[in-house]
Amino acid sequence: MLSRTAEGLYWLGRYLERAENLARLADVNLQTTTEQVSADGTEAWDAVIATMGAQDAFEEAQAEHPGLTPADFVIYSMHYPQSLRSTIFRARSLAREIREYLSREVFEEINGLYLSTSRPPGEGSHRALYANVKRSVAAILGLFDNTVLLTEGREWFRVGMFLERADMTSRIIDTKYFILLPSPNDVGGPLDRYQWMAVLRSASALEAFRKHHHGTVTGPRVADLLMFERAFPRSLMFSLLAMKRHFERATEHTPDSRSVRAAREIALLELDLRAADSADVIRSGLHQFLDEFQLRLGRIDEALTEDIFRGLPEATTAGASA
Amino acid sequence: MSELLQRYHPGPGPDEMVATDGSIRPAYRAFHDHISSWDAQTYMDRQAIADLDTLNSGITFTVYSDDSGTERIFPFSLVPRIIAPAEWARVERGLQQRVTALNRFLGDIYGEQACIRDGVIPAELVFDHPAYRLRMAGFTPPLGVYCHIAGVDLIRDVEGTFRVLEDNLRTPSGVSYVIENRRTMLNTVPDLFPEDRVEPVDGYPERLLEMLAAVRPEGVPADQVRSVILTPGPYNSAYFEHSFLARQMGIELVEGRDLVVDNDRVYLRATTGLERVHVIYRRVDDDFLDPLVFREDSILGVAGLVNAYLAGNVTVVNAIGTGVADDKTTYRYVPELIRYYLGEEPIIPNVDTYTGWRTDDLEYMLDHLHELVLKPSDGSGGYGIIVGPQASKATLEAARERVRAAPRQWIAQPVQEFSTIPSFNGEVFEPRRADLRPFVVTGESSWVLPGGLTRVAANAESYIVNSSQGGGSKDTWILRADPTPPGRQQHQRQEQ
Repeated sequence: MLSRTAEGLYWLGRYLERAENLARLADVNLQTTTEQVSADGTEAWDAVIATMGAQDAFEEAQAEHPGLTPADFVIYSMHYPQSLRSTIFRARSLAREIREYLSREVFEEINGLYLSTSRPPGEGSHRALYANVKRSVAAILGLFDNTVLLTEGREWFRVGMFLERADMTSRIIDTKYFILLPSPNDVGGPLDRYQWMAVLRSASALEAFRKHHHGTVTGPRVADLLMFERAFPRSLMFSLLAMKRHFERATEHTPDSRSVRAAREIALLELDLRAADSADVIRSGLHQFLDEFQLRLGRIDEALTEDIFRGLPEATTAGASA
Repeated sequence: MSELLQRYHPGPGPDEMVATDGSIRPAYRAFHDHISSWDAQTYMDRQAIADLDTLNSGITFTVYSDDSGTERIFPFSLVPRIIAPAEWARVERGLQQRVTALNRFLGDIYGEQACIRDGVIPAELVFDHPAYRLRMAGFTPPLGVYCHIAGVDLIRDVEGTFRVLEDNLRTPSGVSYVIENRRTMLNTVPDLFPEDRVEPVDGYPERLLEMLAAVRPEGVPADQVRSVILTPGPYNSAYFEHSFLARQMGIELVEGRDLVVDNDRVYLRATTGLERVHVIYRRVDDDFLDPLVFREDSILGVAGLVNAYLAGNVTVVNAIGTGVADDKTTYRYVPELIRYYLGEEPIIPNVDTYTGWRTDDLEYMLDHLHELVLKPSDGSGGYGIIVGPQASKATLEAARERVRAAPRQWIAQPVQEFSTIPSFNGEVFEPRRADLRPFVVTGESSWVLPGGLTRVAANAESYIVNSSQGGGSKDTWILRADPTPPGRQQHQRQEQ
């Protein structure tokens, strides 16, 4: 398929997944704020901003608009390119560009999502907005599965989606690192447990955790579920394996010279993830581990972009073979 | 009878729905009966649903203003233009005739140049024309077709005759609105359609795809032809249409940077490597098509495309160099070109036009400037136009001097009244002037899409139907002569 369209579908998958995760994060933060268990809601948001790597951008924006809250920045700002609104705006612009690939239903749902979030919601209707984003993204994925031809393009869409999911889940786990690192005495205490529960909820994983562990929420158990559990659809392991499967299908007919670098990065990351152990990871530094994980996802993205989406084959070689 | 329509009064010009004696014209009777039960509120409710449908489909343009993210839709009115079958049959024949003659003309000026030798059209008009492409001389495109897709703007005059206002033979747009308008109508006011009597319009993409395959380069098997649409990109105002047609035909939408030419062959940059392209339906103007031949600074085109085309390895649709044929001055000569090439009288007449190229025309122009509309022959978008009846003596005298100094740069036409269609203004129906752009697809033969884009002016006074001037559009219904063709009956049985 056309390289540019493949790249567009990959990014559409990424943006939609990112929007959905941001909506979930925002929703959980709203609950946390409401329940007043964490010191205050601002810290939860600061953690989100830190894990998005957006501290500088936020400080700049705040200098310009003194009243700006972290929530407004992460969710509604059109100046911050990673905000929920910016992400949805970009997903929709992209959908317009590659609309010829999408079915009418898929495009209209993406367009509807954009239209419903193009203005900040009124006071008190934030939860409805988040619920709407989550539902709409789910609808888009369902429509995508049921109305778009099963071709290479759909595989690229999934590659983007699962790469983004792996990235976002790793960031969600990482927020815990930024929320008041517990002193050793607090470990296992009510605050610690509450924070891990918030992490679980951010990843829609609390129910899965209950079913899986039937026990107390502890750091190592949560980390184990969110990082290594193959049966949990938002875990790093699940996302990576799914991404690998879709990548293999997408590149079935791509010459090795163009796909091998990404394939190698994915395979190495998978092996390293399989070899890791949650207790070790937590002991030796969860944050470093996740940081490294995100960097390596970045390398996969780079390989896909440089070699496959934008790796322009020389005209003369093709001319000779045609 | 509904209050809504009772209060409708046609303007001074002819009206599509109401005849001069106040009766409803036959083509509108069924529609009129259906909508008679509606009051203003019903109409506004339905209109709101239609607008929402359009908004959700993403057929919008963005009003850029920082944070608000405002999207607007093009105004769309629920009262269609309705054309009777016999009348349409004539329009159809007239369009086929016109497009056939224009294709012959283009083949001639890039070939034998008989029309110039025989004095039908002045040589300088053709060869000095900025859109004349010398590279095309001596080259015959597949099937001899230059204008594969033509959009011909028609108006209906006070006598009720359709006349050609303008030929669009480069990259005419608007057909996606024809198809989407119909879809919106069927979604929101299905009850207004007289059963089985309106010609469908959604056959267009298939016809277009067949035509693209028919004009493939020699030696390419029919089942292996790869056609693409070439767009300037998402920031082009017609991008929706480019994307729409690609989707409807199931072919790729590409930008210049997605294509590469090697050894006079065109390839598409695919994830798996380079893939050969045979037919390019380009929505990029000649000037931007190939930086090696036309504008060097163009980043929209494909370097080497023109050579690949002239080598016969790829077909460009519409052909390069069609702009000579849809020029304002050439227009004056089209009736004569029809007589010259086809030996027939034009079925659809032109609007009377005078050009400074002809001495008889020039004399008339200079004498009657006060009752004519004077236009620069190379202008568009309404610039430099002088409306005689509204101009002061001094203005007219200055204009006369300018025409005398450079007669070939001017054309003139009488002030043209044209027909109105009822349009809802928020309170009542008022008459608004409307034109009609039918689309003609030409491969082995010419096929006319039954209907076309009906554009309406923004208010009751305006003569301008362009969307850039706030104009809107309507669905166009071509009524079927036979109310229930056998094919449709069968279809209905299957559904039960």
